[in-house]
Amino acid sequence: MSVAATRGSRMEKWYRRLLALYPKDHRREHAEEMVGVLLAADGAAQVRAPKPVAWALRFGQHTADSADLVGGALRIRGRIALNRLKRAHWLSWTVRDQRWSDALAVVSVVAPLLLLVAALTEFRIPQAVASSITGHPHWELTATLGLADLPMAAGAPGVIILVFLRLRRLAGLGALATAIGQVAAGAVPAFAGYADPAVAFTVLLSGTAAVALLLSPGPDRGLALLTRSGTALVGAAALILGGFSVGGDVWFGSAPTRFDDFGGRVAGVPADLLIAVVLVGVAAACLRAPVSRRVLVLLAIPVIPYAFLWQEKLAVDLFGPPGGGSAIISSSIPLLYLPPLLLASLVLFGTWFARRRAGERDRQVASATA
Amino acid sequence: MQEPTFLILTALAAGAQHGYGIMSDVARISDGRVRLRAGTLYAALDRLKADGLVTGDKEEIVDGRLRRYYRITDEGTAELAAEVGRLRANAAVAASRLGLAGGTA
Repeated sequence: MSVAATRGSRMEKWYRRLLALYPKDHRREHAEEMVGVLLAADGAAQVRAPKPVAWALRFGQHTADSADLVGGALRIRGRIALNRLKRAHWLSWTVRDQRWSDALAVVSVVAPLLLLVAALTEFRIPQAVASSITGHPHWELTATLGLADLPMAAGAPGVIILVFLRLRRLAGLGALATAIGQVAAGAVPAFAGYADPAVAFTVLLSGTAAVALLLSPGPDRGLALLTRSGTALVGAAALILGGFSVGGDVWFGSAPTRFDDFGGRVAGVPADLLIAVVLVGVAAACLRAPVSRRVLVLLAIPVIPYAFLWQEKLAVDLFGPPGGGSAIISSSIPLLYLPPLLLASLVLFGTWFARRRAGERDRQVASATA
Repeated sequence: MQEPTFLILTALAAGAQHGYGIMSDVARISDGRVRLRAGTLYAALDRLKADGLVTGDKEEIVDGRLRRYYRITDEGTAELAAEVGRLRANAAVAASRLGLAGGTA
């Protein structure tokens, strides 16, 4: 056997080994022709040159072809995995009531966005941006990323990416994992006597996002339902949440208040009062349509714990700080989590009761016509 | 449309070709600038087949090795023509703004 033939056989073996990385179906279909193409390309690349130069050129070609084969296998396997995920029929329960289904679809767009905004503000990114614009030195990025921060740091952008990739169920599971991760990493120490309303907010928001993503037709339907004005409302609400912790003291350079996370005054009016007015306005606009009303109820679930924190801040803004009191309410776990869970239970019970009544009505109509 | 996809469809627009033929033709069309390797080529062909832009044609055995030909489908031709239209319009705008002959906008 000639030197070239021996080399060809050695290379063929090597290429066949790399082709084992490809999915079985692809191998059955293309392995033989791929080996043929690789060896033909190798033969065509032979050049007349001094031995070390020719060897170096062959080695370069061989290495590049091998790396390209591995890359091709990864691309094909990645595409197959993505297609499988998109076509998967697992977790295919959806809410039957059309209006609740639509409301959940809208929330499946809004809640992941709010989660991202909450994560950004948690790591003080908007605050740092605001400070860099205004030149106010008050805010800096969160310098360290603790274990308790990981669920939000990874979960919020992860859920948004999965929503963007139209992987609804996976995004729902991601949101669920974010909620569980936060409970495990952040809220457990709260059982020792301190519960953070901000943690409760993000836990319940992740949970609401998970339910909306898993039980509704998903963001495609939600975006179709969100009219231009609805999108504007969602955008306004997201900006407000961002502005929540940026605060007027950063934008307007007033002295930091006792509540460092929240703003001071805007044109002499407490910033939080303005935010409250806008939020109430948004909520009132939502009350007009049945689906919007349901969206409002669903979004109220995570907002309730924040309301505890906010109402105290609003009271301080309006009436001044209480003498010697703590700046932030040291709320209890039941106080923060029971009202939202009660609201969620009411929604569940209400929809179950309505369905039962509708079923009875249908049966009565059917028996009357029979 | 990514450049390798565009070049593969362009290579096949002239007629059915086998894998190595496509690789050589793409290098020729791009004046040696784009050099497809087997892994990239077959990943692209796999995707184009799944999208219905390319389909398998005849097979033959040459020197004991399988050689399969691929041809562009009607859908692939339409897609390529649409991309050519887009590129031509963009090029015309760019040429016009650069003050080159043949620009339209």
